Amino acid sequence: MPVSWLREHVDVAVSVDELAERLHMAGIEVERVERAGGAAGWDRIWVGVVEALAKHPNADKLLLATVRYGDERRKTVVTGATNLAEGAVVAYAETGATLRDPHGTGTFVLEPKKMRGIVSEGMVLSERELGIGEDHEGIKLLDPSLPVGARLADVLGETVIAFELPPSRPDALSVAGIARETSAIFGVPVRPPVLEPLTWALDPKRLTVRIEDDRACPRFAAAYLEGVRIGPSPAWMQQRLVAAGMRPISNVVDITNYVMLELGQPLHAYDAERLAGRALVARLARSSETLRTLDGIDRILRPSDLVIADEQRALGLAGVMGGEDSEIRETTTQIALECASFESLRIRRTTEAHGLQGSSGSAAARRFGLDLSPELVPIALARAVRLLRDHAGATLVGATDVYPRPRPTPNVRLRFSDLARVLGAEISPEEAGDALHRLGFTHAEHGDHLVVAPPSVRTDIAIPEDVVEEVARIVGYDRIPVRMPTGVLPLHERHPREELRERARDVLVGFGLQETISYALIDPAWLGRLTPDGSPIAPAPLRVANPTTAQQSVLRPTLRASLLDTAARNLRHRHGIGIFEISPVYLQRPDDLPDERWTIGILLAGDAEPVREGETWLVGERRWDWHDILGMTRGLADALHLGPFDDQTRRAAPGLHPSGSFSLQHAGRTAFTLGQLDPRVADLWELPRETYVAEIDLASLLAVAVRPRAVVPVRYPAARRDIAFVVAEDVPWADVQREIEAAAGKAGLEGLALRDVYRGPQAGEGKKSFAVRVVFRSPTATLSDAEVDRATSRIEGRLRHRFGAMTRG
Amino acid sequence: MTTTGGLEAIAARAEAEIAAAPDEAALDALRVRYVGRREGEITAALKELPKLPAAERPVYGAAANAARARIEAALEARAGAIRAAALERDLGAEATDLTLPPRRVRVGRYHPITQTIREITRIFAGMGFEAVEGPEVEWDYYNFEALNIPPGHPARDKFNTLWIAQEASVAMAVAAAGAGRPRAQSSSTQPMLLRTHTSPMQIRTMEQRRPPVRIVVPGRCFRFEATDTTHESVFFQLEGLAIDEQLSMADLKGVLYSFARQLFGGDRKVRFRPDYFPFTEPSAEIAFDCFVCDGSGRTNEGGCRTCGATGWIEIAGCGMVHPEALRRVGYDPAKYQGFAWGGGVERIAMLLTGTPDIRLFHQNDLRYLESV
Repeated sequence: MPVSWLREHVDVAVSVDELAERLHMAGIEVERVERAGGAAGWDRIWVGVVEALAKHPNADKLLLATVRYGDERRKTVVTGATNLAEGAVVAYAETGATLRDPHGTGTFVLEPKKMRGIVSEGMVLSERELGIGEDHEGIKLLDPSLPVGARLADVLGETVIAFELPPSRPDALSVAGIARETSAIFGVPVRPPVLEPLTWALDPKRLTVRIEDDRACPRFAAAYLEGVRIGPSPAWMQQRLVAAGMRPISNVVDITNYVMLELGQPLHAYDAERLAGRALVARLARSSETLRTLDGIDRILRPSDLVIADEQRALGLAGVMGGEDSEIRETTTQIALECASFESLRIRRTTEAHGLQGSSGSAAARRFGLDLSPELVPIALARAVRLLRDHAGATLVGATDVYPRPRPTPNVRLRFSDLARVLGAEISPEEAGDALHRLGFTHAEHGDHLVVAPPSVRTDIAIPEDVVEEVARIVGYDRIPVRMPTGVLPLHERHPREELRERARDVLVGFGLQETISYALIDPAWLGRLTPDGSPIAPAPLRVANPTTAQQSVLRPTLRASLLDTAARNLRHRHGIGIFEISPVYLQRPDDLPDERWTIGILLAGDAEPVREGETWLVGERRWDWHDILGMTRGLADALHLGPFDDQTRRAAPGLHPSGSFSLQHAGRTAFTLGQLDPRVADLWELPRETYVAEIDLASLLAVAVRPRAVVPVRYPAARRDIAFVVAEDVPWADVQREIEAAAGKAGLEGLALRDVYRGPQAGEGKKSFAVRVVFRSPTATLSDAEVDRATSRIEGRLRHRFGAMTRG
Repeated sequence: MTTTGGLEAIAARAEAEIAAAPDEAALDALRVRYVGRREGEITAALKELPKLPAAERPVYGAAANAARARIEAALEARAGAIRAAALERDLGAEATDLTLPPRRVRVGRYHPITQTIREITRIFAGMGFEAVEGPEVEWDYYNFEALNIPPGHPARDKFNTLWIAQEASVAMAVAAAGAGRPRAQSSSTQPMLLRTHTSPMQIRTMEQRRPPVRIVVPGRCFRFEATDTTHESVFFQLEGLAIDEQLSMADLKGVLYSFARQLFGGDRKVRFRPDYFPFTEPSAEIAFDCFVCDGSGRTNEGGCRTCGATGWIEIAGCGMVHPEALRRVGYDPAKYQGFAWGGGVERIAMLLTGTPDIRLFHQNDLRYLESV
């Protein structure tokens, strides 16, 4: 919105910056202030006159220009421009001025510059350096009537404020609306625009107006004008339209746009002689009715679309876009001017359905899509008629206003205590009344409350809280004090799942893993790359109906793809990685929101050591291996005090190494999957062979989490025995462990530690040797050597019996 | 047969040799030679005892024991001296190069979003706000309708919603509504979406509980958004809600003031500016004075970069819960009122860590993550 236009509507003597700041702080959000000359605002740039012009003594192509830019302010500049003459009025920039870089997009600060021995004190500027055009050939010659010595910004160019208004405030989407706000904030009166007095009489032979659906179109006014001469609109009007971002077309179209910008109410002009039956009808579209809109597209209308029609055909999509047939042409002399009120939701649906959100008619559709007051209709019509008379030679024939069920103005009861109740601030009734008065609200005092009626343009005021906000905006939100709440603190609930999750995070960070958080939306193609044959490892994902990109079009049903992607991207610049993520995966459920299953994902890949690249000092080089991923998960279970899952069957884990992975279930669902990534899958992701993953279902962990049981240290000494024995290669450790535990008996086996697994000539072909340490301790007595020896023999005998194990010395 | 005088001579010789012993090994050899169980000279002398006449035995025995005591004392003294000398040598020895790097320990770190959520929830927990979480995939009802944003409400445009593709009737309605923003009309199946804010948990919590309520809600949110340095399509929000009989905007200011002091340090100022949200009335945008330039907008290097030289950091939206939202969950707006606020977690993390680009949070480049 051009500031000069606003100043025409409200007489406020403050700077643009203060105006913008005060509006902003009163809830009229200022997005930016655009000054002529860009952000620097033509600071230190003046209107100057070339008083003398001389040749540069040392250069043929340069001139010395003496510029006067005030009564006694003169400077000499060196210039290469050829279009200067003595007496020329130019833009002169002092040293220190910020200018647009003529050869780039940035700016630069002007410094004194010596050219061929003579210092140029400032510069005379081209269009491009001023930021008002692209010409950089010559110096911009200004209107000779401009006052020499004036700040350029004061006499040339237009400062524009861009607002970002909430959908509740269509009334403020106009110069008059911002003027009303300015008036209320600064306590200065508004200057209403000049209106043509209208009498509501119109010969039906000229034009009839009819509403067929008064919900879709509550109000429809029109004026009939003749003697119209189509031509360009006045320059000042065109400038304002351009400053507001609209393209000038012709006087009639420009006037409708001008009134829309000024008052917020869109209008539409028709060539009256081309209206069949001399009628304008607001009705719903007929089934399979078609319309060629102004953009040249033939549209099939929907039965819920509101159209403006004549007696034969639809002329336009009401409030959204006109049709080609009834468009104003150069030869038009008689116009029917529509000014109406439409149901906002219907306008929005029509705009969307026909894909017209960003179209040329969108300024009107955007306003009609909000709850615009019907009370604007007669005012805007009168203003447009006035401008058509003044600038298009039009004569008013008559006007009509169809408004079958006028909208009632709400009365809101505001108790004085509401202000303190909602704001916590002390605001006197007088002060509140004054704020409301300034905003154009009427109010009457009834004992402890006010009965408040908003101005008719304010469709957003319905409840006392709305009025409280209005008062607060005007007195200033700074009046709200800072106070700590009092009152009863609510009882809090425990959140076991979240507590366990946070403990898991602590444990994994404690293991030295880096936490990651990756996109919950992933590329569905990833899911086909988690197994060698592309078969899924998880149920089909939920799809997003309107994704931003294919790469983020499904909700992940597994964390694995995200972990692999993160690892692959990081391993381009490092040799090893140890990460984890705790996030939900999303699993579809019929007729319900998906199951958001919180999952712990761990990934180890590449080098485990050294921790820092190349730093093999004191540590060797070591790749992550199976025992690491197993150790991390086991360590997590120990740290969280987890009991066993109810199903100890080791199942295949799809996508992982067929003989280097397994999964476990609890309560019928997969609780736990871990192992080496299938090398073929690793290849697909360009990951090393040594890539290990674990995926753990948090809810299953919660199901087996137990309260820790205290162990009281026993004061009797422990006895230790080291045993080594040879078994067949296919005997798993778990079986050995079970047998040792069973055989230890009453001696009290406190610990069993695997010390080594040996394969080689001393064990024999197809055999391996386990070296273990068993620790015995009785809680009630010191064990004798004999007791310990007996227990050890029992263990050795059992191993011999079960596995044919030969005990080695 | 050694005489008593001979025993003394042995002791004297032993003492001299012990005093000259250079190390523990030599000392051990002397111990064996003089007082060793089998071969020791004093031991051997004692073995002679029974051969003596009974009258001489006490004198001889006492002399032997005295000699042994002398030798053992000398051994002990010398052993102590040798250990002390060794320790002295160790302490004074050429030190290892103390500037060598350590045996490197693997250090894990929390993602900055986790750090920030934990920090914020901890601060609000201190003010009696319980952290609760809710579903990321939501019904239209909780994300919009119950928050006073019915279908077709113009405020929906601001939320740039990502919708879940649904089967059968809903999918058809979605398709019929056009490609841009499907909006299902079916009454039998509700439209499902990716929540655009954490505010649905205001409704879900109030449905489950009676006042007083004080909660904060951290969580993942989604928007149909072109990404740039300050916008992400997947991001985290933190929401707060307090409902009681007497809570006003002044209390809201107090809570956020206390929060800002704890999070950013110093005596922060809180600024409210009128704003618009359909589910609060009155509504405000919250700003704190900048913790880097103390609200001046300037630092020694020029304009403050943290606050864009404005002196204020806008951080969240807030307001008094709309009476309509209270009514919908069965709270009597004549009796209960309260406030809510919500803002981006990443924004705070960016401010606290100097992270210049919001996309760094989801890119998981370890060079970044290990730095914060």
